[in-house]
Amino acid sequence: MECVVEGIIETQHVEALEILLQGLCGVHRDRLRIHELCLKSVPNLGLVASELRLLCDLEQSEPTWTVRHIGGAMKGAGAEQLSVLVRNMVESKVSKKALRLFYALGYKLDHELLRVGFAFNFHRGAQIRVAVSSVNKMLKLHATDEAVPLTPGIQLVEVTAPASSENYAEVAAAVSSFCEYLAPLLHLSKPGNSTGVVPTAAAAAASLMSDGGGTTL
Amino acid sequence: MEGGPVRAGMQDQQQPPAKVVERLNSAVQQQLNLDSVKTRAISLFKAISRILEDFDSIARTNADPRWQDTLSQFSMVNLELFNIVEEIKNVSKAFVVHPKNVNAENAMVLPVMLSSKLLPEMEADDNAKREQLLQSMRGLPVAAQIEKLKTRIDMIGAACESAEKIIADARKAYFSTRQGPTVLPTIDKVQAAKIQEQENLLRSAVNHGEGLRILGEQRQVTSSLPVHLVDVFTANDGSQSFSDSSGMYQKNTPPLLSTTNNNSQGSLLQATGPQLIGRAAASPSGAAGSTTFDNTSASPLQYANSPRSGPNVMNTPSPQQQSQSQQQQQQLQQQQLQQQHQQRQKIMQLPPHQQQLLAQQQLRQSSMPGLGQMHGQHHVQFSQPLAAQQLQGRQLTSSAMHMGQNQLNQGIHLNRQLNQFSSPANSALFNAAQTTPTSQMIPNISAMMPSQSILPRIQFGMSAGNRTLPPQNLSDQMFNSGASNASGMMSIQQQHGTQGAFGNTPQSNQTLQQSGVQQQQRPQNQQ
Repeated sequence: MECVVEGIIETQHVEALEILLQGLCGVHRDRLRIHELCLKSVPNLGLVASELRLLCDLEQSEPTWTVRHIGGAMKGAGAEQLSVLVRNMVESKVSKKALRLFYALGYKLDHELLRVGFAFNFHRGAQIRVAVSSVNKMLKLHATDEAVPLTPGIQLVEVTAPASSENYAEVAAAVSSFCEYLAPLLHLSKPGNSTGVVPTAAAAAASLMSDGGGTTL
Repeated sequence: MEGGPVRAGMQDQQQPPAKVVERLNSAVQQQLNLDSVKTRAISLFKAISRILEDFDSIARTNADPRWQDTLSQFSMVNLELFNIVEEIKNVSKAFVVHPKNVNAENAMVLPVMLSSKLLPEMEADDNAKREQLLQSMRGLPVAAQIEKLKTRIDMIGAACESAEKIIADARKAYFSTRQGPTVLPTIDKVQAAKIQEQENLLRSAVNHGEGLRILGEQRQVTSSLPVHLVDVFTANDGSQSFSDSSGMYQKNTPPLLSTTNNNSQGSLLQATGPQLIGRAAASPSGAAGSTTFDNTSASPLQYANSPRSGPNVMNTPSPQQQSQSQQQQQQLQQQQLQQQHQQRQKIMQLPPHQQQLLAQQQLRQSSMPGLGQMHGQHHVQFSQPLAAQQLQGRQLTSSAMHMGQNQLNQGIHLNRQLNQFSSPANSALFNAAQTTPTSQMIPNISAMMPSQSILPRIQFGMSAGNRTLPPQNLSDQMFNSGASNASGMMSIQQQHGTQGAFGNTPQSNQTLQQSGVQQQQRPQNQQ
């Protein structure tokens, strides 16, 4: 299971967000360049179509592959009250042969995208990962070198934290309290809900980018 | 503060020391309401102490501070302080308020504070500076000197004022941006709408994949795959794109029959009903890393035994056919066993009985090299028997024929021979398997084996590994030819993963068998 929230931020403020995250998290940022292939099963395989995501981390010297299955979200009154989305998620590292395996099993490539950005992994009440990335699409199949941003002016911010069915409430609380720190720059919400940008983002970004007080005046 | 005027002000206050109540100079009082200043200062002090208390409690309970509130409080306090200071500045000339009364503690210090005489060092310094200043004006009359000094003072005063003004303006601007709730910047509506639209696009793309799907026609693998995918796709055979086939599936799902699968490599098979089904089942095989499959897999499903994969053909001929073919094979066996070395290695991975079958097939294939040299002729010759055998949709495009690869020809050869062994049950599965043999496919094939003892095995993109042809070209040509096929049922088999594709029809086993025999004899005749 994982708790997840998403938000958007204008590309011009990404640097300020990075500064803020650097200050909040206290760890170094990791560069992010992930080629994500989304595979869907064909209709005649099984009763329900299933979807898998294969992630290839291109930032390492040796590309590493991960397979991720995202399940249904938690439903119910309790889930609605949470400000984060809690959903099933299973993830595992795989070898590069995974793609062929899944094709052999009957999955087809539904779509693919490339995420380029950075991420912070830290512990603050729970193990939290904040990833800020520009989502790029490939005009030609698998042409990751020629990817263009899907929305040039807007980047995606995802905050995720693994959880289990026992502790998801605490993890959700940790994630939402962390998100409050980011409030001046962006709003975060469950993946299905759109948020818009925050009006104070420009001012907050300006103050973050300044040298810290009076010296820039 | 300026010393002179202050002293005057102070003397004002001190002159009537007997009066208990001191009255301020009325002018000063008009300028500044001291009571209000006092009140404000006190309230400011209280606000600051409140904030400090909050921090204390937060620190004590280890709670997370609510930064929004705290920051806004700070900005308020800051602003208030600034305003007070501003006001006092106006009348600060009138006051020196500390110490107000003479008492024990300041009695000793007060004369020093009040004295206008500078300290000795300061005095010396001052004298030196004065000398310096007046040096230039020694000769002038006093009035002129005074003039000059006045202008100088004015200039300096003006510079100071402008500097102060700039600082104050910047400070005001700084304060105004920091005021959160009071001055809330709004986003222009149009811009907000644009951002909203972009956001929806982004969110739907990330979560559901909207806007990222490439249509079938565009699903052509570029000539150069990125580094991390090169290994994945091109394990044995340099053909690509099972993504194509997968893509095709997305687009073309039910109508496998449709010839619209113009995806470069993955021309879908056009098969008859049962064959179609079989193919559908097998399609994943095509997808599974068998780029070969896509490229080649136009083979109709009918022939489980499609020999297209050549050496690693898992298809096992039926016993009758097998015996016949064995006789033929023995003639060919002696020919090119070495060429099968690679393929044998793959075969080694198979279970024993399968290995036997493969060996037979390999031997069959060994005859292919001989055939391989007759590209053009092959084309003609093959087509004739095909027609004769009433094979549907079997066309060997010239491209296929000009492969000039042994494997290709071998595949064709095997196709013919193995056609005999196709059984309807397996044909569907088989069609899917008509790809170049790859060792990886062998396990799949065994899994797909029907229950019959000797059953045509499905080949999943087994490649002989020596492919050098650009699959794309082949597939395109293959496909087109297939599409133009009159019978329209069988699409061209492409390369066994770039090996020659045959539309194998499951029919007329006997005729096929004969053709196989004929073809086997043909090379001998021609040679």
